[in-house]
Amino acid sequence: MLDYLASLAVFAGIYALLGLGLNLVWGLGGMVNLGLAGFFAIGAYASALSALHLHFPLVAASFFAMLLAAAAGALLAVVTARLKGDYLAIVTLGFAEVIQLIAGNEIWLTNGTDGLSAIPAPGRGTLSPLAFDLSSAGIVWLVLAAIAAAFGRLSAAPYGRVLRAIREDEMVARIAGKNVLSFKIGAFSASAAVMGLAGSLYAAYDGYVAPDSFDVLVTLLVVLALTAGGVGRMQGALVGAVLVVVLTEGTRFFGGLLPGLSALQVASLRQGVIGLFLLLLLRVKPDGLLPERIRVHPLDDEGETTR
Amino acid sequence: MSFLQALVNGALAGAVLALPALGFNTVYAVLRFPNFAIASIATAGAYAGWIANVLWGWPAPPALLVAFVAAGAVGATTDALALRPLRLRGPLTAAIGSVALDLLLQNALRFGFGNDPRGYDLPVFRDWRLAGISIGPQEVEDAGLAFITMTALFLLLRFTRIGKTMRAVADNASLAESKGIDPARVAWIANGVGFGLAGIGGTLVALDTSLDPLTGFRVLLSIFAAAVVGGLGSIPGAIAGAFMIGIGEELSTLALAPTYRTAIGFLAILVVLSFRPRGLLGERAY
Amino acid sequence: MGPTVSRRAVFGGSLALPFLGRSGFAAAPIPLGAINPLTGAGGAYGPSMAKVAQALTARINSTGGVLGRSIALDIEDDQTNPTVAVEAAHKLIDVNKVVAIVGTWASSVTTAVAPLCWQSHTMLFCTSGADSITKLPHHGYIIRTQPNTYLQSGRAAQFLLQHGARSVFGLSAQTPFAVDSWNRLAAVLKTGGASGAGDIIYDPKQISFRSEIGKALAAKPDTLFLNSYAPDLEILLRETYQAGFSGNRFTFAYAATDAVLQALPASVTNGLWSFAPSPDVASPAYRAVQAILGINDPDPYSCQIYDHVSLVVLAIARAGAASGVAIHDNVRKISQGTGEKVSDPVAGLKLLAAGKEINYEGASGPCDFTPSGDIVSCKFLFQVAENKHNKTLFIS
Repeated sequence: MLDYLASLAVFAGIYALLGLGLNLVWGLGGMVNLGLAGFFAIGAYASALSALHLHFPLVAASFFAMLLAAAAGALLAVVTARLKGDYLAIVTLGFAEVIQLIAGNEIWLTNGTDGLSAIPAPGRGTLSPLAFDLSSAGIVWLVLAAIAAAFGRLSAAPYGRVLRAIREDEMVARIAGKNVLSFKIGAFSASAAVMGLAGSLYAAYDGYVAPDSFDVLVTLLVVLALTAGGVGRMQGALVGAVLVVVLTEGTRFFGGLLPGLSALQVASLRQGVIGLFLLLLLRVKPDGLLPERIRVHPLDDEGETTR
Repeated sequence: MSFLQALVNGALAGAVLALPALGFNTVYAVLRFPNFAIASIATAGAYAGWIANVLWGWPAPPALLVAFVAAGAVGATTDALALRPLRLRGPLTAAIGSVALDLLLQNALRFGFGNDPRGYDLPVFRDWRLAGISIGPQEVEDAGLAFITMTALFLLLRFTRIGKTMRAVADNASLAESKGIDPARVAWIANGVGFGLAGIGGTLVALDTSLDPLTGFRVLLSIFAAAVVGGLGSIPGAIAGAFMIGIGEELSTLALAPTYRTAIGFLAILVVLSFRPRGLLGERAY
Repeated sequence: MGPTVSRRAVFGGSLALPFLGRSGFAAAPIPLGAINPLTGAGGAYGPSMAKVAQALTARINSTGGVLGRSIALDIEDDQTNPTVAVEAAHKLIDVNKVVAIVGTWASSVTTAVAPLCWQSHTMLFCTSGADSITKLPHHGYIIRTQPNTYLQSGRAAQFLLQHGARSVFGLSAQTPFAVDSWNRLAAVLKTGGASGAGDIIYDPKQISFRSEIGKALAAKPDTLFLNSYAPDLEILLRETYQAGFSGNRFTFAYAATDAVLQALPASVTNGLWSFAPSPDVASPAYRAVQAILGINDPDPYSCQIYDHVSLVVLAIARAGAASGVAIHDNVRKISQGTGEKVSDPVAGLKLLAAGKEINYEGASGPCDFTPSGDIVSCKFLFQVAENKHNKTLFIS
């Protein structure tokens, strides 16, 4: 049981890292970056390939993963600089799809749909499965705490205030003499780097990466987690990730209590309940469990008129 | 394969894609948020069409009408129950709520119908061959049905009271409200019409591919792409965007591995949006 | 997942007590896990696999179980996603303490959960096609009932040669085995004087393959080799028919399922050849799968998971102990060799109880395995679609 909980802690930590990355551009910068699965994949593949072929230890592989993901993030920020709101969301969603296609097609690099297996990680093979899970959970949550603290400071610092200003009104920020594009590029690459780091930790923990792991499901899960936790606050990403893992895993245990249903019906009920729960949560707590403390001016809530 | 053949294939694919994209933009024009649940609502329409066609033995046109009514009802009801309260918190909250709603609807369909593919009780014909170009009668019929539906929508928006109301809200929601137009009523109508179109579109997609709980989800990204390229909330834009995506993806296969087809669609969006950040035809609904 | 069974699996011994009297088992049940693609891309297969595993487990339990213990089967959905599968495997291994996991389908899922299995000495029975799987350092903890591509494609090519194919074009869904199977097929075709006219790998998530088919037919092949799964095969069959192709079409039995044949008009599917690994003769195990699913053409994966569950219980009975190690050490002792041939796991349990040696012949084939966990060699069943059903041509 401890094993299982430790593995859940690792996954929750990875989702929380992805949530933190998303929170930086979305929560602070107001840019809906749904390319999450793409940066996650870039990080995972960069880390796995450098560990397998260049024998990078996890720390070096993770830095390499962050670097590549950040570069991709900067590039995407430049290309999409003029796009706003829903347009940006859909283009970044497409970006993730393209990364998944490349992972599946460029067999010379990624080994195609076969995926890359036997990715080394500290302690794999030398530690017992339980010790490995516990130490992995420790590593992931230490990294998570460090990133959350750094982002928390960033968010309170003048840099964070400029990002919020861009979120609220890009024109005003520009008139105030801020180079909006460079702030956007900075936020995008920092967020991509954290998502890449999550990918690196994922690859090391699972020991295997394949294109199937990076479908739109990850993005949906993290977006829902962040919304449930509370967009704008770093703790929101953490709380949301834990909540989503508790929800997806917790529902596993109730299938057996429903006599007369087929396995397929239990599976669809499980996913349906997750959807329903999140809808209800949004209804009851629209700003998430941990709402951002800086309140938006009431006029902006009308949405329809201000667009 | 010839350039002309790719063009024809792309145009036929675009015609089928146009309907759900149109439905998506109709809803967007009035309610101003992307409703992701369109995937499962289109699938629900396809199942309704299947029930009419296979279980009741109805031919295609009335079955499509059933799909329209069922998808419109599901879309409008779920919106009123689940998403309208969220809309008050801003478009983004509603959009994310619609993701959760899609998950719920998709699994409701799976719970009831299972995953096995369902086939419609309609014959499959050999393609016609005209000057070396092959065209499928089924696809031409689909395109024709799509065209008739689009014309009907155009007439509805142009000449009826309901249409004028919808356009007024799309142009300026607060102004329309101050003139005494009830936004809740308009939302019901826009959702009913928009998702009804998506239901027809879903049935046509299912006719061409297969009907299972993921039918709508498979075309979701293409629907978004078409809507965005044309301009979110733009009715003619949805049609232009659908043809552009359909034709662009097919033409790309002349030069590139077909597995990269989706990537080309994405690049096309990027190019169009670089020059026109609000889509080909901007965001004016009509 | 029988409701009471998995409830016991979840809450362990304390809740199980009230059921002991009723089910008549003296000792705690033996936990067994299944990871099936109930949703996602593999959703066409997972549900019937789960149904077969449940039905067979229930039957074994109702006839006295194994070693006086019942089997507690817990089925988890992997959503055809390796990350979800890893979470499910952790739960099965760490919480349920399963002795084996059966029925993993996607190659990515099997590869992702395999290390968890061999590290915890849990047996893994899979139906995945990627050749790389049995090359993993699994120390004997993987059994794969799906023949590898070399065996399968070679046999497919021989069949095509016998049936007069001279020029074959391949349309393959992008899978880990797409390239390997085509290369092997083309090589064997060449030795028989025929040729591979070309091949295209396509993205199975697309909704139309008109361009791909256009390119394929431009090469004027007499036969199409459709390396597909059920959802994309349905579209390919319809569109090749529309495109006017009147030559032969050959595919895998797991793609030409009953549901696909029912979803399309007979005029489109008639004449479609398909093949699957098979036991010598129409086996009782195969008939049992037919009865469980209530259809004439159960797909090969459903047959394979029937064999997975059978192999697990027979190996446990042979070992006299229920553990992953016991299954690991005994699975080949009951599946191959000189023992009495049995096709019904319950009959096999009786023979083992009587001290006899057995050789299990399953629903999916003879179930003889190499040291690395692959099928040694097997016969194949060739069939042709006729009026919305598959008709057996021959087994060889």
